[in-house]
Amino acid sequence: MHRRDFLRTAGSGALGTAFLASSFESMLAGPASPHVVWVENGEPAQLLAAAFKEFGGIQHFISRGDVVVVKPNMGWDRAPQFAANTNPDLAAAVVRECLNAGAKVVKVFDRTCNNPLRCYTNSQVEARTREAGADVSQIRENKFVTKSINGEIIKEWPIYRDYLEADKVINLPIAKHHSLCRVTLGLKNLMGVMGGNRGDIHNMFTQKLIDIDRTILPTLTIIDAYRILTANGPVGGNLAHVKTPRTLIMSPCTVSADYTALNLFGLTLDDVDVVKEAAKRGLQKYDIRSLNVKKVRLA
Amino acid sequence: MIAKVRRVVQILFLLFFLFLFLIARYPYTGHTEADLFLRFSPLIPLFDFIQNFSVSWVFWPALIILALTPFLGRFFCGWICPLGTTIDAASKVLGSPSNRTSQKWDRLRYLKFAILTGTVLLALFSVHVWGYFDPLSIFNRALTVVLYPFATLLVDSTLLTATRVPFLEDAAYFLYDPFKAFIMPETQAHHQGFFWILVLLALILGLEKVSRRFWCRNLCPAGAWLGFLSQFRLFERLVGEACPVCNKCQTECKMNAIPGGDVQHTSKVECIDCFNCGAVCPPKIKAITYRWRWKPYHTPVDYSRRQLVQTSVASVAALGLLNLGLPNRDTRDRQVRPPGALPEDQFADKCIRCLECVRICKSNGACLQPDSIHTRVEELWLPVAVMREGYCEYNCNLCGLVCPTDAIVPMTLEQKQHTPMGLAHFDKNLCIPFAQNSDCIVCEEHCPTPDKAIKFDIKEFVTKDGVKKPVKYPYVIKELCIGCGICETKCPLPGHAGVYVTIANQKRAGTTTVPEQASPYG
Repeated sequence: MHRRDFLRTAGSGALGTAFLASSFESMLAGPASPHVVWVENGEPAQLLAAAFKEFGGIQHFISRGDVVVVKPNMGWDRAPQFAANTNPDLAAAVVRECLNAGAKVVKVFDRTCNNPLRCYTNSQVEARTREAGADVSQIRENKFVTKSINGEIIKEWPIYRDYLEADKVINLPIAKHHSLCRVTLGLKNLMGVMGGNRGDIHNMFTQKLIDIDRTILPTLTIIDAYRILTANGPVGGNLAHVKTPRTLIMSPCTVSADYTALNLFGLTLDDVDVVKEAAKRGLQKYDIRSLNVKKVRLA
Repeated sequence: MIAKVRRVVQILFLLFFLFLFLIARYPYTGHTEADLFLRFSPLIPLFDFIQNFSVSWVFWPALIILALTPFLGRFFCGWICPLGTTIDAASKVLGSPSNRTSQKWDRLRYLKFAILTGTVLLALFSVHVWGYFDPLSIFNRALTVVLYPFATLLVDSTLLTATRVPFLEDAAYFLYDPFKAFIMPETQAHHQGFFWILVLLALILGLEKVSRRFWCRNLCPAGAWLGFLSQFRLFERLVGEACPVCNKCQTECKMNAIPGGDVQHTSKVECIDCFNCGAVCPPKIKAITYRWRWKPYHTPVDYSRRQLVQTSVASVAALGLLNLGLPNRDTRDRQVRPPGALPEDQFADKCIRCLECVRICKSNGACLQPDSIHTRVEELWLPVAVMREGYCEYNCNLCGLVCPTDAIVPMTLEQKQHTPMGLAHFDKNLCIPFAQNSDCIVCEEHCPTPDKAIKFDIKEFVTKDGVKKPVKYPYVIKELCIGCGICETKCPLPGHAGVYVTIANQKRAGTTTVPEQASPYG
């Protein structure tokens, strides 16, 4: 065995153990810890704080000295009120929480669809998270590494190195209408760390996306539903399509978070192939038919 | 002394122009107008006047230069022109021969007057080709297409390679981050037609091996125009009694403006005020001094009546020849111009091919490219949107804001978002849903209009195994499409896109109607 191969195997082994450990931990936490938390009627930072409280604090997910990646959606050259990108206040609040929990560094990036400078600036995520102390950087093409996927269709795909090397990953999508997959949530948001020609994924989209997602699931998924986009997605551009449920959904399981978020749009599992396929392929940590969803309504 | 000052001023102006070049990108505030340096071109007010019979104050830097030139001479060429400074640098590197060997080329001096006369005559017949010869356009073109991309490619790849060396990593990133923030915030630029612009630049600089300032002496129409104007010089070179006629000033003159065997005289038409003559005058003698003096005398231009007639005849011939190509609508189909471009003929007349729009587009959607010749010579280097490689960014209107001549009329973002550049069409032989009966609609996903111009039908398709599956088939709504081309850019097919933009439905600035179907009879 070559040294590099050994390191790779050892690394993935360690990662796997870490995953096992974290799920074991959550099992130990017992029925008190919900599978999914749904908080509504508050400002982004309040929603976030309330959700973490239900899980017993952010320490449940982030440990001192962790290198954390926060992956918001800032893929479009749109201002926050158009609900095409993750709420910048929420992104900043997440960064602050992570740093307060002792994270060594919080990295923020997204591979954008429009011009990256414009997206980072006009989504306001860059300015707000940097203010909060995050290390915000543009995607560098030389940082994609080919990852073995061995899925049904996709065998390997370039993934962003910073994402793979992070100790903890917080997936921070915004809940939006999406014409191809009906809605875009946590599972779809992970496309922001994928390199290559992402257009290729759109043909046989469901299988390909789940193929890749299966190998890069995050530590925690926080769905921003402060504003949601109900039509003309994922770009939006029309304020008439923006609703303001002032809600946040949090779960260590991306599939459970996405499944719960379907309620925002009045959809069922049969409407959204991506979530359905993910559940079929076993990406979920909990049985989504018997989820323990904790609902909190702030005063 | 004064030659040293001149050198410093030259470098400062070059840096100033480079600075303006670098700020021509997103985010662009417009507080410092990036196109300002293109408006230094002494030719702009002349041709603007021929076109509009009025003087526009927009070109104030050039107007100041023109106002001072009759009394100060071609100081623009010696002190300001960035192409001149680049040529001086090339001369240093290549090692130009002295005037003793190179003066035989001076018989070509008439060419610059011929080019000036020719372009003026063509302009009078409303064919504006002078932009191809304008020194500032040439400089900006070279910078946009060759020099800047080459520099960024070198620095970018060098620093990134260095980051892989363990002990250099920190140092490399220390340099890389500000480089990415201020010098190269966009991705690496690539341009079509790169090769010919490179060849022309190499030619202009390479001619320094033949004589110093070959371009300025013999070819530059701006130099000819300024030389023609500089007849009343107040600041003169005086040669004192002590001169031993060592001829050093004559052989070292950048422009060979001092006639051989007559060091007392200066050709006011050729002298570019570089003051090298005073600097090379032996220090013990110092016979050359410069004085303010009002004693006008005439310097004839190297342009005979016979050459004038020849040029005129050639220009009329060119006028005809420029219009003889077949205006095939097929080739015009994909010539999508920037949003806010004037109607094609006016656009070709006003555009000076400086490619400033192409430059600023690089840090946005990056669709604009220098055009090539399809049917008419004038199409060369007009900006054209190549949407397979870039698209017009929905929230960007910067190309119009940096156009020095307003060939692209500046628009507000709101106006721009309602001005179609063209119209998207699906090629059903290629488009994945039509050709393969399988979902894709990446185009629809990216379509930026508030009500999507690309929509889709869901139709049931029966596979070969008899399984029914719903497939999303996209289509374009003409009234909503603004021809931004992001659909074409993002189409995941490896080669030709399954959707592409043509000039159909384009709305040019200053026109109220969108041409429906172009009539074959004009």
